[in-house]
Amino acid sequence: MMRARKGRRPGIVGLLAAMVMATAACSVIPTGPGDVAVDDAGSGDPLDPPYARVIAMPPSPDWTPKEVVAGFQAAMASTGDSGHAVARQYLTASFLKKWDPSGEVMVYRQSALDGGESEEDTKETRVTLKGTVTGTIGQDGLYRPGDDELNEPFTLVKESAGWRIAGGHEGLMLSEADVRRAYRLVDLYFLDSKRRGLVIDQVQLPVNPVSTRAKTTVERLLEGPSSSLAGAAQTAFPPDIKLIDVTTENSRVVVNLSKGVTGSDNIAAMSAQLAGTLSELAGGSSVEVRVNGEPYYGDSALVVDAQAQLKFDPWMTPRGMQLFYMQGGALRQLDKDNVGQPVAGAAGDPAKAEGRIGLLARPAVSGHTLRQAAVLSDDRRSVSVAPLTPDGQWREWVTGNDLVTPNWDRYGSLWTVDRPGPQSSIVLRHYYDEEKQQVRPYRVAASDLDTVEVTALKVARDGVHVAVVVRNAMGEDEVKIGTVIGEGAASRIANLRTVVNAGDKQTIKDIAWKDGKSLYVLTGKSELLEASLTAGPKPLVSYPRMESITALDDVLLAGVKDDDGNRQVVYRNVPGWEPWVKDENGSTGFVPDGPSSPVFPLG
Amino acid sequence: MATPKKRRRTPRQLARGVRRRARRAAGRLRRVFWRSLQLRVVTSTMVISVAVVAVLGVFLDQQITTSVLDARERAATSEAQADRNAVLGFLNQPDGETAKRSEPGETIQGDDSPLGQATTALANRAGSASRYSVIICNRKLPGACFGTTNIDERSITERMRTAVTKGEPGRNSPWYGELYYKGRDEPVRGLVIGTRLDTTGAPQIDSGYEIYHLVPLDKEEETLNAVRQMLVVVGVGLVLLLAAIAFLVTRQVVTPVRLTRQAAERLAAGRLDERLKVRGEDDLARLAASFNEMAANLALKIHQLEELSQVQRQFVSDVSHELRTPLTTVRMAADLLYEAREDFDPMAARSAELMQNQLERFESMLADLLEISRYDAGAATLDVDSVDVRDVVLRAVADSEALAERHSTRFDLRLPGEPCMAEMDSRRVERILRNLLFNAIEHGEGKDIVVSVGADRDAVAVAVRDHGVGLKPGEENMVFDRFWRADPSRARTIGGTGLGLAISREDAMLHGGWLQAWGAPGEGSQFRLSLPRVAGTALRGSPLPLVPPEVEMRRTWRGQMTPVLSPAAVDGGHDAGAVTGGGRGT
Repeated sequence: MMRARKGRRPGIVGLLAAMVMATAACSVIPTGPGDVAVDDAGSGDPLDPPYARVIAMPPSPDWTPKEVVAGFQAAMASTGDSGHAVARQYLTASFLKKWDPSGEVMVYRQSALDGGESEEDTKETRVTLKGTVTGTIGQDGLYRPGDDELNEPFTLVKESAGWRIAGGHEGLMLSEADVRRAYRLVDLYFLDSKRRGLVIDQVQLPVNPVSTRAKTTVERLLEGPSSSLAGAAQTAFPPDIKLIDVTTENSRVVVNLSKGVTGSDNIAAMSAQLAGTLSELAGGSSVEVRVNGEPYYGDSALVVDAQAQLKFDPWMTPRGMQLFYMQGGALRQLDKDNVGQPVAGAAGDPAKAEGRIGLLARPAVSGHTLRQAAVLSDDRRSVSVAPLTPDGQWREWVTGNDLVTPNWDRYGSLWTVDRPGPQSSIVLRHYYDEEKQQVRPYRVAASDLDTVEVTALKVARDGVHVAVVVRNAMGEDEVKIGTVIGEGAASRIANLRTVVNAGDKQTIKDIAWKDGKSLYVLTGKSELLEASLTAGPKPLVSYPRMESITALDDVLLAGVKDDDGNRQVVYRNVPGWEPWVKDENGSTGFVPDGPSSPVFPLG
Repeated sequence: MATPKKRRRTPRQLARGVRRRARRAAGRLRRVFWRSLQLRVVTSTMVISVAVVAVLGVFLDQQITTSVLDARERAATSEAQADRNAVLGFLNQPDGETAKRSEPGETIQGDDSPLGQATTALANRAGSASRYSVIICNRKLPGACFGTTNIDERSITERMRTAVTKGEPGRNSPWYGELYYKGRDEPVRGLVIGTRLDTTGAPQIDSGYEIYHLVPLDKEEETLNAVRQMLVVVGVGLVLLLAAIAFLVTRQVVTPVRLTRQAAERLAAGRLDERLKVRGEDDLARLAASFNEMAANLALKIHQLEELSQVQRQFVSDVSHELRTPLTTVRMAADLLYEAREDFDPMAARSAELMQNQLERFESMLADLLEISRYDAGAATLDVDSVDVRDVVLRAVADSEALAERHSTRFDLRLPGEPCMAEMDSRRVERILRNLLFNAIEHGEGKDIVVSVGADRDAVAVAVRDHGVGLKPGEENMVFDRFWRADPSRARTIGGTGLGLAISREDAMLHGGWLQAWGAPGEGSQFRLSLPRVAGTALRGSPLPLVPPEVEMRRTWRGQMTPVLSPAAVDGGHDAGAVTGGGRGT
């Protein structure tokens, strides 16, 4: 009996243990890798990043005149308030008829809100908004920076429901903070005139709570370029195309259009425009284009690679670009170890200079596969071009009275400006006819530049934007950005707009395009600015005694002379500038007759 | 819905038709339900499991909903608490320091209001609107109302606002309601946690800031809907599974029972060799074994009884035959004695007469016994011929004329004018009628005897009515038993054998007809013979009533309707009215 019991107990214990283990194995939360991919809720929808917005509130009867104006300012900034219905409640019936929120938006920086003192029985008072007008936003979203004083009086009258605004600025006014909240600066990608390159149009897009950011962006893209690119840029989208929706599906952005475009060139252009425009939002995921919800080609989908814009236009982010610089009267090319070698042909051989190329000449290197160097003679009367091939010889392309440093554009044409007399300039564009082996010069129509002195002209790598430095009769330098329209004899420069006004007898020494959007400006006091159409000039850390600059995207190099007249090329790095070009011994010191005038192709 | 071509029916008729059909279907269903044990078990299993599953499902659903929503509410509350602290921090700092708080990489600059900066920070923390949205509002100050992403301020109802503004600062007021988003037409169910900012530690801050966290619960709703759907599917599956299990289990029990029932039915129908298969040793197998044993015993008993009955019948037949030879001799001797009775002294002469009478009776009794043993042996055959029933009746009446005169009884014949042809064995029918007439004369107490003949398309009938003492209740069947008599003390005056009515009934049944009796104490009695016109066809009714019309009418007048109904409805002779009466039997 005892034995039997002893024998049974381990069995019961074992059974219990098995049950406990079985229950443990059936615990609610399993161990091991999960098989469900949970999307990160915190990151949210990449097509619609989070933002804060002002909610418009109607005026309160017990508010003071100042508070009513402040409330009106906030109500104007409300994006969710369709038709500004709430903002209109702040206005008297008569002012309501004049007030038009659909026009140009004034952007200001407020410093004070004055006035508004009212006695018990006053029926009318005045509140003045003081500060600075920092810019305007056009109806097409184009932001124009400005710098004017703001002194905007608001007239208020007391109505039965409290103070109401009876007079003031008759359009929308937004503070800079409101603009940051209510607008997003987006890059829209359009096509150049040959439909082979991409042009970036930076516009301010109002945040629309009813739509996603991606949808508003693509809708704006379909509307076409803003006025700053009028006539210069094209789009692959036909005018009657409509956007149905932009969604994400399997980590792919799906753009649903009402119709497609035909022709492989057009499809490639459209893909590049979409990929470029959505690149900031899509964050590396590919884009699929659909027509009315169906795959683009009916049976197969059109999937646009996230980097399609870079493939379409290699000049968007040029790779493998080597730096050229002058040293010892020869054009040199920097290799991977930052050691310079003379280029092939006459340009790399001071013995063959034939007096065309000075020791400190400012060369320009073309962007062709067949590289060409152009250089202005020391007497500024001629520009010579030599191919960078072993048998390349100098050849005189341009002659003039007082030419500026030449500049190549991506189409292989050479730009320069001749100044036949004081306060007059002629912009010239030269093509080389391969078949006839001759240079064909054209005069570029630029009415804004005819009566001023142009001291520099640089065409951006997108082939559309052009920057010019203009010196007016008072000797003040201005940097303007415009666009090139047409080619050959029909070429003209239009849409010019001042981005930097040096003032104070300050000169502009050099300019260099960073990319299609912004421009580095080097002043006579060796100050460095970054300028663009859509923002005011931004000062950068500079280096003393810079003579010339060149840039390629984030790479910025400058030719510098030290106090002893030694020269070197410096490279802008994160903490500061560092000498860049090594000699044969690997030294990067400043040397007499050292490296100068660094230049990138098309730079 | 009758098509126009069809006969038009009023809606009421249609409704009645539908109702009738429904009632009929319900009746059929009820019958099937109550006849099938299996169906009943499956149905009750289903009903009970549906109830259990429903209760369980509702309970589970509520539990899951509560736990999911609780978790979300807790998470949202803690997020709201953290956000509140952040807002308080933004509002609390001196104006000059706002720029320092801006996170690296973000372009929050000093010119933005602290509340705007706070909202931007909260928006970045909240992420997209699918997680949660925030609305911060201070309605006392101008331009102090901010929201994140595309939340619509309509989502905050006036009641929520009142609850928040009237409530203590820092207290969370959770609400479940509809959330509206700009650009979305349909509201989303969601949770709103509203709080008034607690500014007790920072008196320079206005106390009117309301912070609302709006958490959309559409994902949770989706999950809960999926869970609910799954519960329903699983519940239905479970009920069906249970029903199937009940079906299978009951089938295991019901099938042997059904087989046993069928076997019992066949056994009852006389197939005594019917047996069940015995499989296994369970209760059902033992039932089958017992059934088989019972069937075997029954068969044995029946066989024994049949044998016994056979022996008895054979004995009666043999005795009757054996008695005839000595009876013939005795009869011849008695005839001689009877012829010579004139020469005997009166005593002897009287004895000879008596012997002669009793011998005649003995002979007829023997004949009847032989006749009835032929029926028992199944040897009786019909000699069918198409005859006019009126002729048969007249012949039988003529045969009974002498006896009737002796009882001073008159016949009242009620015969139809046209011939009543029917296929029958006229000899046997005449014998039946003769028996009925003798019987009526014997019990008629000298009153008139009515003989009526009736005919219709399928049948002919003859009714013999007397006005004697009648029959007591229950006797209308017993009169056809062998050697039955109502009053055993009464002597047989006419000298019937006691087998006449039994033979008559056998004769009628041989024709496929009926022989029925009715009688009531003091009312007399009536016997009715109904025969089909064509031999071998089944009788459906009789052309003549079993209960005499005058009796029926009298009862109606008295308002004492009895269960006795029109003769067309009665069948088989089990329906006769109550009878009182004296001796019966022929």
